[in-house]
Amino acid sequence: MKHILYILSILIITLSACEKEIEVDLPPSTPQLVVEASVNTYSPWLNYVFISNTIDYFKPDLSFNGVKGATVYITPGKIINNDTLFDKANRYTFADLSNLGNIPGLDSIGKSISGMYLNPLFRATANTSYLLEISLADGRVIAARTHIPPIVSIDSMKVRYDGIGETGKKNAYLSFWFNDGPEQNNYRMALRNNPDSVLFGWGNADSYRTFDDEFVNNGVIPLEFLRPFEGGDTLNIYFTSIGRKEFRFWQSFGRAANNGGPFATPGNVKSNIDGVIGSFTGYAVYFKRIIFDE
Amino acid sequence: MKISLKHIFIFLGSFLFVLNASAQKRFTISGYLNDKSTGESLIGATIKVNELKTGTATNSYGYYSLSLPQGNYTLVFSYLGFKTLSVPIILDKNTIINQKMEVQINESKEVVITGEREDKNVKSTGMSRMEITGQQVKNLPVIFGEPDVLKAITLLPGIKSGGEGSTGFYVRGGGPDQNLILMDEAVVYNPSHLFGFLSVFNTDAVKNIDVIKGGMPANYGGRLSSILNVNLREGNNQKYVVNGGVGLIASRLSAEGPIQKGRSSFLVAARRTYVDVLARPFLSDNLKGNSYYFYDINLKMNFNLGQKDKLFFSGYFGRDILNYQSPTNSSFHFDLGWGNSTATLRWNHVFNSKLFCNTSAVYNRYDLYNNLTAGSFGFNIRSGIQDWNVKNDYTWFINDKHQAKFGLNYTFHTFTPGILTGQASSIILDQEISKQYAHELAVYAMDEWRINQRFNLNAGLRAVFYDMVGPYTKKQYNADNLPTGVETSWKTNESIAFYPRLEPRAALTYLINEQSSVKASFTQTYQFIHLATTSGASFPVDLWVPSSQKVKPQLAYQYALGYFRNFDNNKWETSVEVYYKPMYNQIEFKPFSRLFFNQNLEEEMVFGQGLSYGLELFVKKKVGRTTGWIGYTLSKTTRQFDELNGGQAYFFRYDRTHDISVVISHTFNKKWSMNFVFVYGTGNAVTLPIARYAYRVGYNVEQNKPELTFIDVYGKINDYRLPAYHRADISFTYVANKTDKWESNWNFSIYNIYNRANPYFIYFLPDIDKLEVKAYMVYLFPILPSVAWNFKF
Repeated sequence: MKHILYILSILIITLSACEKEIEVDLPPSTPQLVVEASVNTYSPWLNYVFISNTIDYFKPDLSFNGVKGATVYITPGKIINNDTLFDKANRYTFADLSNLGNIPGLDSIGKSISGMYLNPLFRATANTSYLLEISLADGRVIAARTHIPPIVSIDSMKVRYDGIGETGKKNAYLSFWFNDGPEQNNYRMALRNNPDSVLFGWGNADSYRTFDDEFVNNGVIPLEFLRPFEGGDTLNIYFTSIGRKEFRFWQSFGRAANNGGPFATPGNVKSNIDGVIGSFTGYAVYFKRIIFDE
Repeated sequence: MKISLKHIFIFLGSFLFVLNASAQKRFTISGYLNDKSTGESLIGATIKVNELKTGTATNSYGYYSLSLPQGNYTLVFSYLGFKTLSVPIILDKNTIINQKMEVQINESKEVVITGEREDKNVKSTGMSRMEITGQQVKNLPVIFGEPDVLKAITLLPGIKSGGEGSTGFYVRGGGPDQNLILMDEAVVYNPSHLFGFLSVFNTDAVKNIDVIKGGMPANYGGRLSSILNVNLREGNNQKYVVNGGVGLIASRLSAEGPIQKGRSSFLVAARRTYVDVLARPFLSDNLKGNSYYFYDINLKMNFNLGQKDKLFFSGYFGRDILNYQSPTNSSFHFDLGWGNSTATLRWNHVFNSKLFCNTSAVYNRYDLYNNLTAGSFGFNIRSGIQDWNVKNDYTWFINDKHQAKFGLNYTFHTFTPGILTGQASSIILDQEISKQYAHELAVYAMDEWRINQRFNLNAGLRAVFYDMVGPYTKKQYNADNLPTGVETSWKTNESIAFYPRLEPRAALTYLINEQSSVKASFTQTYQFIHLATTSGASFPVDLWVPSSQKVKPQLAYQYALGYFRNFDNNKWETSVEVYYKPMYNQIEFKPFSRLFFNQNLEEEMVFGQGLSYGLELFVKKKVGRTTGWIGYTLSKTTRQFDELNGGQAYFFRYDRTHDISVVISHTFNKKWSMNFVFVYGTGNAVTLPIARYAYRVGYNVEQNKPELTFIDVYGKINDYRLPAYHRADISFTYVANKTDKWESNWNFSIYNIYNRANPYFIYFLPDIDKLEVKAYMVYLFPILPSVAWNFKF
């Protein structure tokens, strides 16, 4: 009996789910317009408007399906008598990267990519609203607004060194605290470990967190990283405050980006630009760099 | 018109008065039927009066009562698998006959299918109702050597399985939360262990299983689609018996015996998985801190307190426990535990030979806890549902034409959506989402009326009064899902949402002849509590939520029509049933809803309707060396929600155009028997992406390449069909020893004989090198042999 049980237990342990490749026939889809627009208080590399189209699911193409030939403006708002006014005289034109001349630091970027609209001279400030206007070559017009909230700063940080990791370096556990104000706040944090260049596009970061102050409002909120960093690492933290609609978009984006398996819930992101997929987000950035002990 | 309790009692009173007025003065024969060797009561055994060609059957407590004119009669007691008894009586006064019946020893006993009345299929008003015994479940081919009640019932027509890895079942287009699952009258809110691979019912303790999928009599209610009644054995009141089984992943042990011989008995049954124990030596040091196991315990006691009273106690406690210890971070630890606890105290009282009463007090609870520690963080989150329930049911054997049932059923629900306590650095967390409370009172009356030799009618009415009450505090949220700071509070017992509802029920049988009948039924059902789930399957973190001001009670109507025909002296049963079932106030959740610890859960809900209709064919052979059945269902089930799929109706995920099940049992000789199962079902309807786009774009300046995250765009809901599900299993049972003192058998099963890869889910993976997206189908169980050893002494 013991012998049988032993053999059988091995059988169970080696048993795991199997998988095989299958053919799935999906009908062709109509392309939809996708807009990713960002304005921020910290870096000109994070002010951009990316415009692309969706592609059929099984189309053998994993590139950015950019849309060229669009006219793109971003206008800062001014508050006059409790109304926000966007004056055309103050607007900035964002030009397709492939049409821009040489920009210091961006020399090496492939000019063949279309659909990335930039203006290296544009700067954004906290407590300001921005208007995005896009006119496409086919005549479609898209408009969206965002507001950059006040910057929230990280109050204190702590690093706990505990044990040696797989690469033989110290395990560095990071935690920090910040003071959440009485108003409702939404946060989005991007991390970049051992950066070797500027952060161009939020997608160039390594990891992200999107959260709000649902559980602790108007108090000190602690954040702790469960996975250790390595001794000697340099970590750039972009700790940002964003608006509620923008938060709702990035929250749904996070769920859409990590969606799979048997209990995946099919769903589409909560866009905050009418008529397209995507978001126009204004970021109030608090930047912090840490170098962990060797 | 507002219907009050007073109106209901006036209605019930006048109904019963009319019945009583038609009653005649006669004598009554009544009593209990029991198995002589174990003392177990026999449910659904028949008592026939040869001279009058009339008869009755025992109720779910094994009690019967017959009213006859004075005279000399021969009573014939019969129950499949037991020796038929003829008892001559001279009826000149009310008489009690408590009959003990002996097991019939022959080879076909091992494959006894049910204890049904031979022609009950044709003659009773019951339709859309199926029974299966604990023994039969044990004989079916099994996976990992674990027999399972919920897997077995999905072999019946009209009851569909959610697939492997799911104990959720779907009755005539209803969701898994629309089934009332009762274990000895206690509600089981989450019937699964091991994330849905096995159910909570220990087959050693199960006596029989009764499924009602339509034509629901008025004494049942609370869920839209079905009632699954699992009755546990009472325990042997004649001698001590130990039963056990050793399977691949779990073992079972039960003990039963008399407390006082012939008068009282007990049964204790326990089960535990040991994958964690077996796997431990093989795990690397990294994984040593991880384990998963479940266990459950059933306890039952049964006391005969004289001729008129019986007292039962039934209890269940089960837990699934998962521990996780991060291999890289010693301070990260995670425990998840969940399970049901139930306790039922039941008193049967015979007021007189015509009036039988059952009173039950039931407590049941489902809860989930989750402890997490990580560095200076420590959290504990708890959620669950708890009910206190009192039932008082009467069966009034008025005369040979009328049998009335009436009673009440009161439940007090407590919903705990979430309690969070813990510490994060110096901050103490103590948050609770307001608990919710609700009263649910049902009163019912029904009459089983033999109108004449051809027509039988079962008509009834169930009135339900649901009241969600305080204390409760509701936070108001704005369109951005933010609390506005405004709160509405209700005091203790203050009514928040009151829903009085009437549920008329009727079932009519027309006997064409002794072998065939036509039946029709109408059922109206309401459901006041709902399962919040986004997965479509049952999961430990799923929450039950009450009907409230915003969440209206679910409603379903079901119309069913059937033709029933038996052949060859009732050896073969056949039936054809059609049904039509519209459902209203159905609940779905918006995509990406967060269900767990969500203060504003109702905002995530959308409300719509459902429709299911279908045809069910059933052929069953009940006796002989070869028994079994074939079931076929042709059906269509849709859902329609204004806020989903652009308002267009879409297929229910578990819509199954064709569903076939074949079950064959054959006894070769005293030592060997065989069971074979084949199932086929149209693939599940799933939502697949139709397009994708690159987002959260960045540019890696050093490597000169874009950083892209691809996001899927989903098209119409459930517009794609997974490949069909089909599978054949076979098992052989070998009786190694069989004496009065010691019995043992081996069950050898092969699951999925022809190694069909049945879809569990599909996922997609981009292949960056080839610039392609590929589809992969994950399937769980290939051909899988297993063995189990069962013993009894």
